[in-house]
Amino acid sequence: MTELTAPNVVASSTRSDRRRRILQNLLRGERPYMLYIAFVILLVVFSLSSPWFLSIDNFLNIGRQTTLVSIIAVGMTFIIIARQIDLSVASTLALSGMAAALAMSQISNSWIVGAVAGLGTGALVGLINGILTTQLSIPSFLVTLGSLSMARGLAMMVTNTKPVIITNETYFAIFGEGTFLGIPVPIAWTLAAMIVGVLLLHYNVFGRRIYAVGGNPTAALYSGINTKRITTAAFVLTGTLAGLASLVLSARSHAARPDVVQGMELDVIAAVILGGCSLFGGRGYILGTLFGSLIIGTLNNGLVLLGVSSPMQLVIKGAIIVAAVAFTKR
Amino acid sequence: MELSGSVAAESLPSTSLVMVSAINKRFGGVRALRDVNLEVRAGEVHALLGENGAGKSTLIKILSGVHAADAGTIEIAGKPVEFDSPAKSREAGIAVVYQDLSLVESLSVADNLLLGREPRAAFGFVRKRALMARAEAFLKELGIPLDTRATVGSLPFAYRQMTEIAKALMGEVRLLILDEPTSSLTSDEVRILFDAIGKATRRGVGVIYVTHRLNEVFEISQRVTVLRDGANAGTFVTAETDMKRLVNAIVGTDRSVSIGARTEPAAKRELDPSPVLSLSNVSNDRLRAVDLSVLRGEIHGLAGLIGSGRTEILETVFGLRPLESGAIEIEGRRWLPSGPADAIEQGVALVPEDRHVQGLVLDHSIERNVTLPRIPHFSRWGWMQQRAAARRAETAVARLAVKAPAASSLVRTLSGGNQQKVVFGKWNDPRPRVLLLDEPTVGVDVGAREEIYAVIRNAARDGSGILVVSSDLVELIELCDRISVIVNGCVARTLSRGEIDDAEELHHLLQMYQASGLSLSQELSA
Repeated sequence: MTELTAPNVVASSTRSDRRRRILQNLLRGERPYMLYIAFVILLVVFSLSSPWFLSIDNFLNIGRQTTLVSIIAVGMTFIIIARQIDLSVASTLALSGMAAALAMSQISNSWIVGAVAGLGTGALVGLINGILTTQLSIPSFLVTLGSLSMARGLAMMVTNTKPVIITNETYFAIFGEGTFLGIPVPIAWTLAAMIVGVLLLHYNVFGRRIYAVGGNPTAALYSGINTKRITTAAFVLTGTLAGLASLVLSARSHAARPDVVQGMELDVIAAVILGGCSLFGGRGYILGTLFGSLIIGTLNNGLVLLGVSSPMQLVIKGAIIVAAVAFTKR
Repeated sequence: MELSGSVAAESLPSTSLVMVSAINKRFGGVRALRDVNLEVRAGEVHALLGENGAGKSTLIKILSGVHAADAGTIEIAGKPVEFDSPAKSREAGIAVVYQDLSLVESLSVADNLLLGREPRAAFGFVRKRALMARAEAFLKELGIPLDTRATVGSLPFAYRQMTEIAKALMGEVRLLILDEPTSSLTSDEVRILFDAIGKATRRGVGVIYVTHRLNEVFEISQRVTVLRDGANAGTFVTAETDMKRLVNAIVGTDRSVSIGARTEPAAKRELDPSPVLSLSNVSNDRLRAVDLSVLRGEIHGLAGLIGSGRTEILETVFGLRPLESGAIEIEGRRWLPSGPADAIEQGVALVPEDRHVQGLVLDHSIERNVTLPRIPHFSRWGWMQQRAAARRAETAVARLAVKAPAASSLVRTLSGGNQQKVVFGKWNDPRPRVLLLDEPTVGVDVGAREEIYAVIRNAARDGSGILVVSSDLVELIELCDRISVIVNGCVARTLSRGEIDDAEELHHLLQMYQASGLSLSQELSA
């Protein structure tokens, strides 16, 4: 049996092995192909039943519509792998958007000020979530249930529920309406978040620790990992990404409104779980999350094109999510 | 008191109640049970002995329907039974009282006794008065002095245990299984417990009594069965055997022979007299003025019963348990551990007691587990150097002879011994200055055990100071240069190699120190 170990030492340095390793990093999952098969089935069904579905324009549409969910889902992947949950992301997005718009209208009409205010607010909410969860040992479900309500309430209080108009053209171009290398910026930002997510989770020390903390918190502690700091960092990352999503949304609608995207946290969590994360922690990968959000976005888009009534859309979407999770879980 | 005395005095009953024949059970690569037989008669207290990992818990879990046996039969009153769930076992009349109790602490004794079978009125309302009356009548019949109205959480531990036993006896119970019931009881509470057991056996209930305390065996049981390495090592009529024969059965004579045949006697090694780790007057919530030193290259054993404070010494050095007073020195420098990360930084490593809970991330690969404590060493500016990590894991796999298809194999798929080697692999490189080992071979089969001993000896030869906790006294004798006996949170005595010959002697010594550490009333009543 021991001789089995020897060839591996040699094999690891070959180039093909290295390529396989990278592929594994991106595609890994318990039954990785199920997710992609599910996505393809969805594409085929909608292509056959709607003549408008299969077009570049429509796919860009899906991409734009899934932007918010996809960006935040990157952060949620870290949180769920670390055995936590964040229910506050949609409220954080609303509050961050208000902060960005108010900073530009009250302090200085510069896109940098808006971006810093939006991202900073998101990060701050994440930091508070993380500190309450780890230092006071309150389950993150309860902490973020509270901040879901508080962040939304604060967003409404600052302007007494009125929207804040944004007038900065550069801001619109950078976050909402421009293109980057021919790609609409919302999609470019999504890709950027995904790439950062892949690097952090699969190639960075932080990612290793996230997996360990979620896989077995006690063993992680016994291995000298500061589990509280790592968990808090995951919340900060998610809050910051909710801030980024708020910039994209407000730049697209030229205003920040305090009542946007209510209930979106459920789409985000559904996307991450569809993408193969285990709610019990320690398992998950970013590309899975991307496909999870794409499945949710495609469902939303396809059902509209088919002319399904919106109450019926909710029913079908819910049923498909449950079925897909039952299908893809190990 | 007279009742418990009369239990042992009763002659052995003759009707066979439960017959376990040729039970086999495997967990992955480990054979937990091999052709185990056990017969319990009605009204008998049958003690079940064995070291940790000998298979006692597995046997109990099979009897209680938690695990299914791979082969073998169980008969109750002559009729073969098969349990695929704990409910089935309960239906057949087997009740288990676990160490961690299964009571609802916020409810009263009566509520707990009738939990799930409350007398009900229309619409599911509970008939509170009928419930109280039934509970009271039942306790009276059993002769157990418990207040039915008392909230379970407010009761002393022994009374909670009594509630648990009473609860187990409600309904049609034929076999009662007690798993180390006295491990956290005071001597007076042990009396109360033995009374309750006597009351159960009088009703014709058979009792399986799992314990580590040999003196209790002679006090309460009619027969004893000893398990060793997952197989029967003998069944004795208690009145016809003695302490020495039981210890031999538990420890195993074949293994005492292998000690003599050891290639490298620890005694002959010359040790560098400078300590790598020294504790002076260390106290905290579980320790009282611990004085201890570990020399460079020394394997220093900590012997003591579970709960004696031996694990807590390791936890304190590893920074998991705050120090209240006293001093810890590493290579002569005073050091106050602030946490595991700090300890690792100082070159202290811990192979914890429970590798599944504390040592490993089971769903991750060998590579991920091995690199876990030293992630920063496999990264540059925060980015993982995946190839360096993989190489490191592969060297560890090769050096420790972990039997696995590749370093990318999931730890869950490995056998107990190989999993334990992976835990050692976490601390393999660079060499730790102080290596703390807590039960390093629990749940490891005999072959892999020798390999782990080799790993430990190699670490000592390379200059690590090693502190090892073990319930397996043979293991301590075989490995250690010195052994400290831990009783009630302090070091009762430190023995060097020449002062002790074999495990049996150590076992007696341990029992002696333990007994003298108990309260005087126990001594007087015994």
